[in-house]
Amino acid sequence: MSRLPTSEATIGPFFPRTFFRDGDNDLTRLSASAAPTTRGARILLRGKVTREGGAPLVNGILEAWQADAAGRFRHPEDPEAHLADPDFLGWGRAFTDAEGRYAFTTLLPGGYLDRAPHVNLTVMGAGLMRRVHTTVFFPDFAVANAADPVLALVAPAARPRLVALADGEEAGLRCLRFDLRLRGDATEETPFFEG
Amino acid sequence: MIYDPLPPGIEPVVPVPGYPNTWTHTPKQPLLRRPATRTERTAPLNLADKLGCGDDNLAVVAPGRIAIGQLIHVAGRVLDEDGRGIAGAVVELWQANAAGRYFHPIDQRSAPLDPDFVGNGRVRTEADGSYAFFTIRPGAYPVPVQDTWWRPPHVHFGVHGPATLSRLVTQMYFPGDPLNEIDRILQSVPDAAARARLVATALHPAEVGDQHLGYRFDIVLRGRNATPPA
Repeated sequence: MSRLPTSEATIGPFFPRTFFRDGDNDLTRLSASAAPTTRGARILLRGKVTREGGAPLVNGILEAWQADAAGRFRHPEDPEAHLADPDFLGWGRAFTDAEGRYAFTTLLPGGYLDRAPHVNLTVMGAGLMRRVHTTVFFPDFAVANAADPVLALVAPAARPRLVALADGEEAGLRCLRFDLRLRGDATEETPFFEG
Repeated sequence: MIYDPLPPGIEPVVPVPGYPNTWTHTPKQPLLRRPATRTERTAPLNLADKLGCGDDNLAVVAPGRIAIGQLIHVAGRVLDEDGRGIAGAVVELWQANAAGRYFHPIDQRSAPLDPDFVGNGRVRTEADGSYAFFTIRPGAYPVPVQDTWWRPPHVHFGVHGPATLSRLVTQMYFPGDPLNEIDRILQSVPDAAARARLVATALHPAEVGDQHLGYRFDIVLRGRNATPPA
């Protein structure tokens, strides 16, 4: 029997800190006790989430999802799922601090078909009645980025806002920075996609 | 699976009056319609290992430590748009205590905290998509804005399904509460039938027994089969 989807709502201001465990923001581990995958180039993907006026999003929740280092998913929708990295989860969750900052430990994803390497991010927060969706691209893959059909949907002037920036190193990990502006004028707002 | 755009009336409309964050946090530019590529059509299928599941009793924080409030059982199924149960979905639930206060550093209201209530749980759905929690009925609480309004008792649900496109965060309401009709968040959903689907069904006590009250709440995630069921 066909059913209509349940309506979305905001997570509100009180998404529990008690839901988080160490390593939830580490995409390279299947679980807190599992060893990280040994494949791929490990990176720290970090940034700041702001709302209108540039004020930080406090206690916002970000969830990241990406392919493994070879561009595969352990999921029936991927015809090469059997070849996917068995030690890579590809999913992580982080909350923003008082300055709106978040961080994920992950690895550079691989591309697949016509998709350039990318990480999908969703942001939830108090007052965001529907979560927002965006995609992080990487400066390492300029040629693939130029051919990506999703990045091509974004106005050319806004495309650089979806490409992470080199942000030095921390504890031996290469850092990339990706800031999000939830609401702003056309020159500052992050491009978001329909769900 | 096919992920259709939602029919009109289901998604909440913003800004919500008296909730300034619905304005300051919501993108101004139109959302871009994109194809559903593999990244959108997939999600971790073993998320239960990452997050840890099985915490299904919010009403007992530790042996012998029972939360204050009306003990309730909330159960239902997680379904796709074909009405088929989704096995292995992760269901997260969080809520205020019986006095309407959250166990969260950001909630500094004067209502009491209950030392025996944290108010969050997480389970994995069974093969038929079913889930269940024991908890207590949460209290209502005022929204601290100039023109005060009250949130009716509600339970937050977050569901991780088989695709990132089917991820859902929603809120469940209790039938018959007079605050439901004037709740600005519930009423931001334009379609009356869609609002009704956010209200749990009270089970008759004869079905439930004398230990707790029972509610049923089914959750439908986006996604239907490419081939409709015969």
